[in-house]
Amino acid sequence: MKTSKSIYLFFLPGLFLYAIFFVYPTISALFYSFTDWDGLSSSFQFVGIENYERAFTGDTIFRKTIGNNLKFMLVVVVFQTIVALAFALIVLKNTKTTIFLRALYFFPTILSSVSVAFIWSFIYDPSLGILNQLLELIGLEFLAQNWLGNANIAIYSLAITQIWFHAGQMLIIFVAGLQAIPEELYEVAKIEGASKWQTFRNVTWPLLAPSATIVVAYTTIQSFKAFDLVFAMTGGGPNNSTEIVATYIFDIAFRSYQFGYASAISVIFMVIIAVITYLQFKVLRSNRISY
Amino acid sequence: MKRSLLLTSGLLSGALLLTGCAGESNSGTEGEEDRTKISFIHWRGEDKAVLDDLIAQFEEENPAVSVEMTIYPSEQYQATGQRLLQDGSTGDVFTSFPGAQFEAIASAGLFEDLSGEDFVSNFDKELISVGQKDGAQLALPYQLVFNMPVYNKGMFEELGLEVPKSWSEFQTMADTLLENDITPIAFPGADIGPNQFMNSMMMNNAPDEDVFEKLQNGEESLTNEWWVKTLEDFQLLEQKSYIQKDALGTSQDSAMAMVANEEAAMLATGSYHMSALLDLNPDLELDLMAPITVEENEAMYEGINTATFMLAVNSKSEKKEQAKEFIAFLSQPEIASQYANETGQHLTINDVEYESEVLQNTAYWIDERKTRFQPRFLITNAQIEAAVLSSIENVLGGAEPMEAAKEAQQIVDENRD
Repeated sequence: MKTSKSIYLFFLPGLFLYAIFFVYPTISALFYSFTDWDGLSSSFQFVGIENYERAFTGDTIFRKTIGNNLKFMLVVVVFQTIVALAFALIVLKNTKTTIFLRALYFFPTILSSVSVAFIWSFIYDPSLGILNQLLELIGLEFLAQNWLGNANIAIYSLAITQIWFHAGQMLIIFVAGLQAIPEELYEVAKIEGASKWQTFRNVTWPLLAPSATIVVAYTTIQSFKAFDLVFAMTGGGPNNSTEIVATYIFDIAFRSYQFGYASAISVIFMVIIAVITYLQFKVLRSNRISY
Repeated sequence: MKRSLLLTSGLLSGALLLTGCAGESNSGTEGEEDRTKISFIHWRGEDKAVLDDLIAQFEEENPAVSVEMTIYPSEQYQATGQRLLQDGSTGDVFTSFPGAQFEAIASAGLFEDLSGEDFVSNFDKELISVGQKDGAQLALPYQLVFNMPVYNKGMFEELGLEVPKSWSEFQTMADTLLENDITPIAFPGADIGPNQFMNSMMMNNAPDEDVFEKLQNGEESLTNEWWVKTLEDFQLLEQKSYIQKDALGTSQDSAMAMVANEEAAMLATGSYHMSALLDLNPDLELDLMAPITVEENEAMYEGINTATFMLAVNSKSEKKEQAKEFIAFLSQPEIASQYANETGQHLTINDVEYESEVLQNTAYWIDERKTRFQPRFLITNAQIEAAVLSSIENVLGGAEPMEAAKEAQQIVDENRD
């Protein structure tokens, strides 16, 4: 069948939007990363790879933000995936209760991130917050913490909020993946005398790999870009312990007026996300199986 | 037929897209062709009601001019507000913070020089110096705030406490408060606490007003006595429980609640919170007090002032005359008095009549007390400012003062211009 050349016209609106909102800003960022532009002036100087050298060798905070981002990402990816999968297995069957529970678990996802930040800042407040009060009430006051004010745990407190915020979204993807697994395979496993764990390990998980790939990749990207929660809850503090690359780029660009340098960090950040996502795809795709 | 249909549909989609884009830029000003509309941008959401009223009065006096006010959250204002200034279509009148933001806008040449304007004489000559650069008056600070602790004067009187004049007296006062189960200082360490309280904590440890300029050009170091002593003083506040437990996780609202409920005697923010505290507890009797961290005979300053909310005209604006008329209007004493009394702020305008009790009771800080301009705003490099503030958080988090100072100094060295 021959395709009319005019069909390509349908690509134009999408291509146009993609070029304006993605290609152009990306190329601009790359361009400005080689300059000392302050974001306000009409003039700037080319500085070669100076901004990249500074990021890699002369910026302690940038290196710290990479470490913070990796900690945040690891906690969120591991626990959000486990929580979403566990809940998906619980609410898999289509009954009235499970449909209600799915909606309930999905609910945080529809909230705005600023609302979530406000709610959780209140929960974590060391004197007025309900978390510490609840711990005291049940006799676990030794677990009460300065959740956002302690530099050693603040990043993990933020990670818990991020998991609460987005696990429902991933649950839906897992439910869709689980429901697509043919029932006959479970019947065969049962006849063969497989235990629940063996069934999960050899039937459910391999066939869920495509969904897991999406969940893990999306969670990774999401946790790298968790600007709004961090910005609204801690602003990167205390003592930069929750400063992640996205909030640092904001600081450099809009508080320090170093757009050239912020562009260089953005480019490095984009490359890091791309590499990590590629590696995840490679690993998870190797787990895929079909029966 | 099929081919031409596809072609037509494709072209139609493109046309619709372009029409949609064009439609957005055409919205707007119908019926106002005969009036010159000026744009006024700022970050003070809490002042909207009074500014709406003042704008209505201005438009009545100047029927040929209308004012469109856009208020941004302060963070967003820093991020987007000033970028809008660049093409001159937004922010004919705009506001700026002193310090890093003022320097950046000045470097970009976006301030119109207001030096020769008659209305400049309506402002206090000394207080507006912060809006000057290279001999030109680029911006006119409108508000005058005192960035030093607000204290419960009634509680002090009840306990027979005097305002301490030295660091040793301050500690004795704090011990007495603790003995009475009162937290001496409510410190909102999760948000504005460090950047507000650092000013009064360091004002006498580093009386040289150029200390941060010297830090930025390498002549001073955070590992020197003036800053390490300031960090040691912060450490003492934390170790002796003069600030509340878990202070770094305490928000501004929680700290205010502590003072309003009389669980704490002082709020480590500034005069701008006095009205809000009185809203929470109208029975409070409040005043201002900065900790004197040296001996009485060594103290050079009693408090901190900041002339801020700096009014300016966009140099790229095509409506500069109308923009100046609006600033002239705001600088009239009776107009400024209405603004001051309805917002609970002291102003930099001469002859303002303060009617509210709290403004009257604290007005003596303007003329009778020795205050210095907020040191934090003299750090013009935002990364260096962040390093200075981080060292305070580091100490309150348990680090040794010298160790925190060294860590911060490394960041200063990396970010020096």
